[in-house]
Amino acid sequence: MDFKDYYAVLGVSESASPEEVKKAYRKLARKYHPDVSKEKNADEKFKDVGEAYEVLKDPEKRGEYDQLRKYGSRADGSFQPPPGWQSSSGFGGGGYTEADAQQFSDFFEQIFGGGRTGGFGGPGGGPRQSMRMRGEDVLAKLALFLEEIFSGCEKQVSFNVREVDDHGRVVARQKTLKVKIPPGMKEGQHLRLKGQGSPGAGGGQPGDLLIEVELAPHPLFTVEGQDILVTIPVAPWEAALGAKVTVPTVGSKVSMTIPRNTSSGRRLRLKGKGLPGKHPGDQIVIVQITMPEQHSPEAKKLYEQLAKAEADFNPRSKLHV
Amino acid sequence: MSSKSQALTVEIIDAQGSRFTLHEICERGECHAEFVLKMVNYGIIEPVETGADLETRYWQFDLVALMRLRKAIRLQRDLRINLPGLAMSLDLLDEVESMRREIAQLRKQLSHFEDSSDGE
Repeated sequence: MDFKDYYAVLGVSESASPEEVKKAYRKLARKYHPDVSKEKNADEKFKDVGEAYEVLKDPEKRGEYDQLRKYGSRADGSFQPPPGWQSSSGFGGGGYTEADAQQFSDFFEQIFGGGRTGGFGGPGGGPRQSMRMRGEDVLAKLALFLEEIFSGCEKQVSFNVREVDDHGRVVARQKTLKVKIPPGMKEGQHLRLKGQGSPGAGGGQPGDLLIEVELAPHPLFTVEGQDILVTIPVAPWEAALGAKVTVPTVGSKVSMTIPRNTSSGRRLRLKGKGLPGKHPGDQIVIVQITMPEQHSPEAKKLYEQLAKAEADFNPRSKLHV
Repeated sequence: MSSKSQALTVEIIDAQGSRFTLHEICERGECHAEFVLKMVNYGIIEPVETGADLETRYWQFDLVALMRLRKAIRLQRDLRINLPGLAMSLDLLDEVESMRREIAQLRKQLSHFEDSSDGE
């Protein structure tokens, strides 16, 4: 087991006052709150910060921790509490963080967690096995490719449910389901699978599984609401004269007309080729004029003729130069 | 790992099936009805298609409201935010989220333009 340096987690010194500890905690809790932060492992960091504060805010626990920190930590960073170690402060729950010790690390458990019993942590926490209680809803994230969102798919989803074992302890059990995803889901949208969450206690109903859909980035397409966007390179002469070009759509391709005199950045609409749904979206084709890497001498000559013929055109007229 | 997988058809959030009464949303959000009423009064969540005078016992909430209620509960519990602050935080978080998405999309679109000019 690794030793956890709670002072480093909160970024305060050993001699930090309770006020400094509180301030550091509040700041980091805001920073890493999983509902606020987009940082990687925000969830884990938030738990670490909560755990560190749980110990350092309490003078008794902090004293015990300081002692262990002095004597229990080994040179290789591993940690073993001294033989016969028993915390006198214990874990009471509640308090400022209303923390659920269930979520804390093995390290915390070793030091302060003696003799806890499990139970579903609801508001107020504590074991409640005798009560009838609905099982927890479980949230799982599922990343889908655009193609899968477009036409719907069947996906295997694995997630952990919490249930009470024969000894009254709360244990995690992995569950795997095959789920039919309907076409036209949006990023951030939730699917609900009734009764597939954690089992209830004391005859209570099971919770639900809530699947949050995430969209994996696509090399060609981006999604804007119901619309699918794609950038199409065209040659300058195609843009000038108009052309029939082949455009990729999700899982297929279509032929479309680029009207003559099309500028770069112009958006052309392929009706109904966007995401399916009650109001299906469109595919938006953004034109991008692309030059060949090299021009032949003939082409160069033609461009020179063009420059003469179109001498009146000032593409920068809007810039007043 | 369980090998006995079963295929399930899922409910979509705007399907009729995912509606919760005040009692159900309280149970699922693990909070009191008073808290939900406050959330509604502050415009943090809204019941679906209600007349202004509809009695609370006929209220129906959708899954979006439940997810938002849960988020509100977590934020209030973990960060000790009061109700006006909570309402504002949630609105701002929504805005930040949609802006993050938009920025990611625009960057991606921009990258298509930049890629092709790299060869110069």
